[in-house]
Amino acid sequence: MLLELKNVSLSLKRDGKYVKILDEISLQVNKGETVGIVGESGCGKSMTALSIMRLLPEKAKLEGGILLEKEEISSYSKRKLEKIRGDKMAMIFQDPLTSLNPLHTVGRQIEETLILHTDLNKEQRKKRVIELLNEVGLPRADEIASDYPHQLSGGMRQRIMIAVAMACNPSLLICDEPTTALDVTVQAQILDLMNHLKDVNEMGIIMITHDLGVVAEVCDRVIVMYAGKIVEQAEIKELFINPKHPYTKGLLDSIPKLAMKKTKLGSIPGMVPSPDKMPKGCRFYERCSSAMEICREKTPPMNLVGEEHLAACWLFEEKEGEANASSRNKGLEATLHH
Amino acid sequence: MDALRYTLKRILLMIPILIGISMLTFFISNTIPGDPARLAAGPYADAKVIEELQEKMGLNDPVYIQYFRYMKSLLQGDLGNSNYSHQPVMEDIKQYFPATLELTFFSMFITILIGIPLGVISASKKDKIADQFARVLALIGVAMPAFWLGIILLLFFYLKLGVLPGSGRLDTGLAPPETITGMYTIDAILTGNWTVFTSAVIHLILPGITQAAVTIGMITRMTRSSMLEVLRSDYIRTAFAKGGSERRVLYGHALRNGMMPIMTLLGMTFGHSLGGSVLVESVFSWPGLGKYAVNAITYLDFPAVMAVTILIAVLFIIVNLVIDILYQVVDPRLNYE
Repeated sequence: MLLELKNVSLSLKRDGKYVKILDEISLQVNKGETVGIVGESGCGKSMTALSIMRLLPEKAKLEGGILLEKEEISSYSKRKLEKIRGDKMAMIFQDPLTSLNPLHTVGRQIEETLILHTDLNKEQRKKRVIELLNEVGLPRADEIASDYPHQLSGGMRQRIMIAVAMACNPSLLICDEPTTALDVTVQAQILDLMNHLKDVNEMGIIMITHDLGVVAEVCDRVIVMYAGKIVEQAEIKELFINPKHPYTKGLLDSIPKLAMKKTKLGSIPGMVPSPDKMPKGCRFYERCSSAMEICREKTPPMNLVGEEHLAACWLFEEKEGEANASSRNKGLEATLHH
Repeated sequence: MDALRYTLKRILLMIPILIGISMLTFFISNTIPGDPARLAAGPYADAKVIEELQEKMGLNDPVYIQYFRYMKSLLQGDLGNSNYSHQPVMEDIKQYFPATLELTFFSMFITILIGIPLGVISASKKDKIADQFARVLALIGVAMPAFWLGIILLLFFYLKLGVLPGSGRLDTGLAPPETITGMYTIDAILTGNWTVFTSAVIHLILPGITQAAVTIGMITRMTRSSMLEVLRSDYIRTAFAKGGSERRVLYGHALRNGMMPIMTLLGMTFGHSLGGSVLVESVFSWPGLGKYAVNAITYLDFPAVMAVTILIAVLFIIVNLVIDILYQVVDPRLNYE
């Protein structure tokens, strides 16, 4: 296993008090696997990613365990983190224009990762930069290396960001909405490129997106988040064919389909509760069409609802109390050792 | 090539600006009550002498004739004779301006050396003790009158401790180095005269610090706010995601991006102090342009007033031009157009 998050919770200081943004997030990513994290904006997808990279605001409280290649990195010092960021784990951000330094040539920005993590000399670094630019599918690499970000198109910039991230062959690549700011045609190219790079380099990828189309395109497994909690996780096909959690169903209903007659798209009524006013029971209770009495009172546990398919919903509660826990663990384990 | 064309264009644009400034200064100084001839002739001169002098100085001609006459000799490098020092104004300026230039360079050097790092630290440790400290320091610098600080420094370091000299540019008894630039420190280096160099530097310390105190305050505050803005950018997060250390991110990525407003302010203060800081020069008896200008105004020494005004205008325009060119060196997104 490449990455494991064990009951990770994150609190941020807002107006003088700590507010829980992530609540007991547990997930796993294997080598060569792409795991999608989906959910509405504000559900904690990006914060999960930033917690792994530990690029958090200053007054953040992070609890739980984060294991990267079996190393507990959540307790790493600043210095130690700097060593693995960009080397073992790398991240790509949403807007490639604002994410690249406007005053440095793109070649220099790719080279910086190499300066920070390798012993290559200037010649070798230059060669590697050209190599990387070719790898991410940019022609005329030596010319582009001396260009500034504003001289390139959106798709090219995102390719540069990918080259920056790939410079040291990281084992984990986190992509936070990597295609959201791009044209649709360019989106497909970028996703293809990432699929290709994953296969070549045996990376694990976390793909954060609100776009289920992107998920369908590249992910092997999907995690659905709602209001700072994981509500469902399953294999990609399983999730699309057989969604269990009412929230996931709602999300899938809101995608337009070609076969559909011109009916109204499904939408989920209501709003996400704010982090400082989380309800006692299920966080989706207020908006859920199949809500029951118990949902208001108690937080639903993760239930095994199919093969390697988990959902946090009272609808699928297994009847026997004891078996409940053990089968749940079995389900988790099955997912872990996938 | 583009850069060269841009620079030439800007230099050509200086001409109309300078003509405008020279006209304004000339006509304003001519409408000021007071008779330069009478002042030049001295309090005991009789009316006939003054009349002759008026004729000789061309004061009876219409103002525009006087202006054209002035501009004609200006183009030949003749700024006229000072009515007060009775030598060519050009000679006066050659004597006073390098002193101001030297003091300005020195105080700007201190400003950049202290003000910018202080602002960066202040921004990166926002709301922590280092930040509070830097902010209070900056506030004191900005709020404190320069002449008052000058006097306090004089009292303490010169009168009480006696470790630093309190006036002039060199120890009495030392002959100034051979004039090359007119700046004693530079000339001393060029001629290899280290005694004079040391003495010149020591004499720069107190007036330099006094002059720098205000600008350090301003630059620190500007750097802080500019950096805070930049530190919120996405590319700063990218730099951290690459594994960059805080120091590397701050100085390698953030500072250059936050440099624009800092450069603007530096340019303005630089131009300003080149015009001579009257108060600092007075407190430390620094024979600079500021002192010369005040004298010129007091004695209605029109040629000197004109010369100083035009010189300051030219300096301001040059500094602005340099800053504009530097903008484009710093930010490749700006074009030379």
